[in-house]
Amino acid sequence: MIYLSKLLDQKVWDAFGHVVGKLDDLLVDNTDQTMPPITAIGIKDGSPQPKLIDAKDIATLWPSITLNVDISKLDLFQPVGHELYLKQRALDQQIVDTEGKRLVRVNDLQIARKNNRFYLTGVDVGGTGLLRRLGLENLAKSVAKLLKKRWKTHVIPWEDVASIEHDDPLRLKVSQDRLVQMEPADIASILDDLDHHTSKALLQGFTDEQLADTLEEASAEVQQAVISALQPERAADVLEEMDPDEAADLLADMDDQVSEQLLKLMEDDDEEDVRILLRYPEDSSGGIMTTEFASVPGNFTVEQALHHLRTNEEAKDDEFMFYVYLLDQNKRLQGVISLRDLVTSPLNQQLSNWFDDDTVIVNPLTPQEEAAYLVAKYNLMAVPVIEPESNVMLGIVTVDDALDTVLPTAWKKKMPRFAGR
Amino acid sequence: MKKMKLPLWLKNFLLFLSILGPGLITASADNDAPGIATYSMVGSNYGYNFLWLILVITVGEVVILEMAARMGAVTGKGTADLIREKFGVKMTTFAMFCLLIANLGTTVAEFAGIASAGELFGISKYVTVPILALFMGLLILRGNYKIIEKILIALSLAALSYIATVFIIKPDWGVILHDTIRPQIQLSRDQIISMLAVIGTTITPWAIFYLQASVADKGVSMEGYKDTRIDVTFGSAWGNVISACIIIVSAATLFKAGIRVEDAKDAAMALAPLAGGASTVLFAVGLLGASLLSVSVLPLSTTYAVCEAFGFERGLNRSFRDAPIFYGSFIGIIVLSVLIVLIPGMPLFQMMILSQTLNAVLLPVILALVLKLANDRAVMGNYRNSKVTNVLAIAITFLIVFVTAVLLFEPLIELI
Repeated sequence: MIYLSKLLDQKVWDAFGHVVGKLDDLLVDNTDQTMPPITAIGIKDGSPQPKLIDAKDIATLWPSITLNVDISKLDLFQPVGHELYLKQRALDQQIVDTEGKRLVRVNDLQIARKNNRFYLTGVDVGGTGLLRRLGLENLAKSVAKLLKKRWKTHVIPWEDVASIEHDDPLRLKVSQDRLVQMEPADIASILDDLDHHTSKALLQGFTDEQLADTLEEASAEVQQAVISALQPERAADVLEEMDPDEAADLLADMDDQVSEQLLKLMEDDDEEDVRILLRYPEDSSGGIMTTEFASVPGNFTVEQALHHLRTNEEAKDDEFMFYVYLLDQNKRLQGVISLRDLVTSPLNQQLSNWFDDDTVIVNPLTPQEEAAYLVAKYNLMAVPVIEPESNVMLGIVTVDDALDTVLPTAWKKKMPRFAGR
Repeated sequence: MKKMKLPLWLKNFLLFLSILGPGLITASADNDAPGIATYSMVGSNYGYNFLWLILVITVGEVVILEMAARMGAVTGKGTADLIREKFGVKMTTFAMFCLLIANLGTTVAEFAGIASAGELFGISKYVTVPILALFMGLLILRGNYKIIEKILIALSLAALSYIATVFIIKPDWGVILHDTIRPQIQLSRDQIISMLAVIGTTITPWAIFYLQASVADKGVSMEGYKDTRIDVTFGSAWGNVISACIIIVSAATLFKAGIRVEDAKDAAMALAPLAGGASTVLFAVGLLGASLLSVSVLPLSTTYAVCEAFGFERGLNRSFRDAPIFYGSFIGIIVLSVLIVLIPGMPLFQMMILSQTLNAVLLPVILALVLKLANDRAVMGNYRNSKVTNVLAIAITFLIVFVTAVLLFEPLIELI
């Protein structure tokens, strides 16, 4: 294996043994491929700008860098703009390891030869790469041998990394395509570790839905930074895609004028959902509830209810459907039926069989802790939120939102990245 | 929302307070335990003759911290990140080694501060230091010390008592002005060490790293940068007003009485005009608060910087298994510092001051790198250093290098 750090500053020889200069950089193209080809080398020869030579002139890179042409007949390379300069733009930078789902630093780059061409194959992110850069590789290897430890290099294949540069649209696109394959929670935790310029740039290319999913898992700081960087119309679209309770939390932290502007730009029903939530304190049941829940009129039969859930547009949007709530025409809660009971019951059975006055409920001002306690005590997946005077059902507090106080989904929300902030 | 009617000056004042943030916190850390020790010592040994240095350093501190803050705002990255990305592994290793030594020295000094404060209350350092180190360590690792932090900030406000004392003792401002403009300095070994200590406790490598990281973390952009600049400038000025007050009070009380500060008990006497017999308690409380506050920030920020530079997994939200180097070096710094302080017979006060001299000697390494970064077009774009900033920053760097050189070569010169 050839490593970039071993090549840099080595002398470059032409076909007749003349020194052309010293190696300054390697350029690769098509970084979306598994093994991007090296297209040119940069050579320092005393002129102010390094000379770029086409890769077809390279005879060998290791153990010495030799060209297969005469120094007077070098093929100069014209960059088109989206080549990646390995030393300048990849070495020592941070990249995302999409397999390991973390941010790592490039300690070295691995290059391989195939059919007389050279390719970038992997990224060394391990301690051995650091030691190589420090010129301590041989010493460390002997020590490892002495201690009978295996010498392990930590090289990530190029296909499993996403570079996080944000100044080249084409390469940014490659990174985004690789990033979106990760879980939103993993993307969010990486965004927290990134500087805000880069995280903004990366997220710009996400679809509204991808962006919404990621933001739901991100820390308050990242949410604010990203939403305020977007065009207001786009921001409103993203907020519509988010869970209303998460969108409300986000808007509550924003400047009043800005959040009002964004709310007005949202679709009416989404706006309404969020406005209801905004009325309640952040740590009350009303503040953490979701207004999207599955409900059917209480006078239905099992068959009608199943049909309604399959065909109704609103019902299709509900991500959380462990229970179906039975409501009267004034949206007052009459009873609850679990999806299991609904599916296993005879089709002609009346839903009124499940009417119950003692359903566990909370009101919107019930503290989050109490909702969590009820959910835990009665082994519920969700608890309905009822407006006290009118008995109208407003939404549900789901188990994961209720337990957020005990076990925050985004650990980062409670943790300072830097002490003393 | 109801709008309250406020007088304009109050509105402006509140607006001003809302701007203050990382800059003020960073600069207030000038008056941590080694800071208080150094300024007390300098005041009691040399009277007002070092006040000019405070003026010079204030300018230097504003210039240098402003650079760090600007880099944080423009790049959104930490100092260690930029050093690694621009200068490669070898230079980063050297810079991080310097940072680690400087910060280890300062952490030792903070624990020496805790030990001194404990001894003023008559409690042995073998009791206070391990217990408080364990307590703070666990608190930081649990990541939730907001309340404790507020208590510590309140405790360290005891340093304000030096300002009050200045008004009580009514020093002769004519003499102060005269000694500031025409100081009497002999470049003796002790004086040079003291000069470096004053520089090193005011402009610290860790303040640069800490401030840049805080600004980057807050997501300050260049549009909002004006406020940050005010924050940094005001914070530095304020921190140095307190520093100057410590020197003035020590000079007007201790120096006049011919007392040379050897330990915390001597230094505490400077507050006697304000607090009388309770001056020891007041001094001890201030020292303890300032030390603990720094302990809560310093080891962790050092660990972050080093891990950032080398790409080691880091963060309090990672498990020990995922981030062994992060937790290992954090605990290592604390344990090593505690052990050094617990060596029997260690002169605590001298140790605090010498650690700051060490800070100053290592500072030029960091300054040179920061200066290079702040002038780099690829890093800073249109927000590179102005000529004035460069001239001032280079001047302060050379001042430190010059004084260090005198310190190192003085024995040789004496031989000739």
